[in-house]
Amino acid sequence: MSPLQQFIEYSIVGIAAGGIYALIALGIILIFKSSRTFNFAMGEMMMLSAYFFYAAAVTFALGPFLGMIVALIGSIIVALVIERVAIRPMLGRPFIAVVMVTFGIGSIIRGIVGMIWGPNDLQIPAILSRSPIMLGEIFVPGKTARAFAIAVVIVVGLIAYLRYSRAGVALRAAAADAVTAYSMGIDVRRIISFTWILAAITGCISGVLMANVNTLTPHLGLVALNVLAVVILGGMNSLGGVLIAGFIIGWLEAITGLFLPTEFREITPYLLALIVLLVRPTGLFGTKEIERI
Amino acid sequence: MAAVLEVKDLEVVYQGVIQALTSLSLTVPEGAIVTLLGANGAGKTTTLKAISGFLPLEDGRVTRGSITIGGQDLLKLAPHQIVRRGIFQVREGRHVFSEMTVEENLIAATFAQRAARSRKEAFDEVYNYFPILSQRRGQAAGYLSGGEQQMLAIGRALVADPEMILLDEPSLGLAPLIVKEIFEIIARINREKGVSMLLVEQNAVIALKYASYGYVIESGRTVLEGTTEKLSADQDIQKFYLGVEAHEAA
Ligand SMILES: Nc1ncnc2c1ncn2[C@@H]1O[C@H](COP(=O)(O)OP(=O)(O)OP(=O)(O)O)[C@@H](O)[C@H]1O
Ligand SMILES: [Mg+2]
Repeated sequence: MSPLQQFIEYSIVGIAAGGIYALIALGIILIFKSSRTFNFAMGEMMMLSAYFFYAAAVTFALGPFLGMIVALIGSIIVALVIERVAIRPMLGRPFIAVVMVTFGIGSIIRGIVGMIWGPNDLQIPAILSRSPIMLGEIFVPGKTARAFAIAVVIVVGLIAYLRYSRAGVALRAAAADAVTAYSMGIDVRRIISFTWILAAITGCISGVLMANVNTLTPHLGLVALNVLAVVILGGMNSLGGVLIAGFIIGWLEAITGLFLPTEFREITPYLLALIVLLVRPTGLFGTKEIERI
Repeated sequence: MAAVLEVKDLEVVYQGVIQALTSLSLTVPEGAIVTLLGANGAGKTTTLKAISGFLPLEDGRVTRGSITIGGQDLLKLAPHQIVRRGIFQVREGRHVFSEMTVEENLIAATFAQRAARSRKEAFDEVYNYFPILSQRRGQAAGYLSGGEQQMLAIGRALVADPEMILLDEPSLGLAPLIVKEIFEIIARINREKGVSMLLVEQNAVIALKYASYGYVIESGRTVLEGTTEKLSADQDIQKFYLGVEAHEAA
């Protein structure tokens, strides 16, 4: 294989992973937009969803389809409980206090999963076909390609929905100015719950996809660390930027693995995020609010 | 059901210690324009926040008194329920959603609608009162002029089709000509749609001109009330709110 071909293949695999990063990042950004809460438990919520899928599809032998539905419902319930019990009472508290709460929730989930399912790798039923896809001479692993396609379709669909629907207007109104949103009859607390539901859905799908591409372990949630770089790069308030930022981080990670020792893979996304933060604090695509008196 | 708004002996405290209203009472009869005058910090906006149920959002609380409309207790309702009950507040400083288009701003207000009315019907009414908004419908609201933003803020109220609009300093920062234009439209909305208005203003000249009844508040309590003719003739009002010197009045 020529170096160029290798470069292209690594790039494609990297960008494909970036599609899932974008899907996870979207959940984080939606919650952040509605309530200025940074949900550090996103990775663990996603990991827990994959275990729900495992329990339903394998342990209770419901198969992949019903398993996915059970996992979605379970994820939504968990998200709503977290929002209601731990996050809502914290509204209006200092940002960092809420962040610590989400950190805590993440550790609790990791602990519970470890207790129930143990530390070992589990195999979940394949929902993605393995057969590779050839783009001319270029070989794209089948699962990776399909996971990417699913993730991108959901990200684009969700962004379009929030762009053009009435619910999307309500979400943006609540995000921009909660009191004024209330004054228009928008129940901001319900909007916040709504974003937790959306995050549960994107997290559940990305968790099952990740567990399919790799394997299922309690460490699955660690990818959320890369997602943090995606969120910073794309800009906290930009839905559209998240996809591009996901591709960039995924690509960067893969390319780093090609040229540098593997340890660097974990560093480069953050180096890039850091540089972007220094040059453009709002991220690549985030905007300052238009101010006019 | 007569939708009379009654505020009685209201006391409001922020953060458990800051007393913003001590004893405020006012009545807005159905179909009337009533004005609430007072110096900076007198408690005008706080009164409107109490009516709309915004106080808990700012760590404020009603500690005494009552607010009712048509006999129904508003203090028990959440902000979004109060709007849907027909009381729409146009907040001080306009608060348009600057990154959303004019039309999206109006869509946001559809959540306040009580009766089903088609979006087209509602928006046509807004564009009829404010033709300039129709031309700007696809533009980000942040790029509108101050006057246009105030029109949009009132336009959102029209979408909701309320019984009563609470207007907090609609003249703030606007040129006299625009202020006049906006007040003419406010008067038209009041006349044509029978919407009652509670109008908070620093600009007492214009408020006394358009309202029929007025209240003057000082440090959180009502100190003077009466028809606007009576208030306009009052010496203290002339001195402190209309900027008329004693010798001019004489
Ligand atoms: N969120 C808040 N927290 C604490 N104190 C507040 C808050 N909002 C208002 N106050 C205080 O309550 C008092 C009344 O304020 P309010 O905004 O009602 O005045 P206002 O009559 O509307 O004044 P202005 O003409 O300047 O708008 C002021 O002393 C103000 O400092
Ligand atoms: Mg005020």
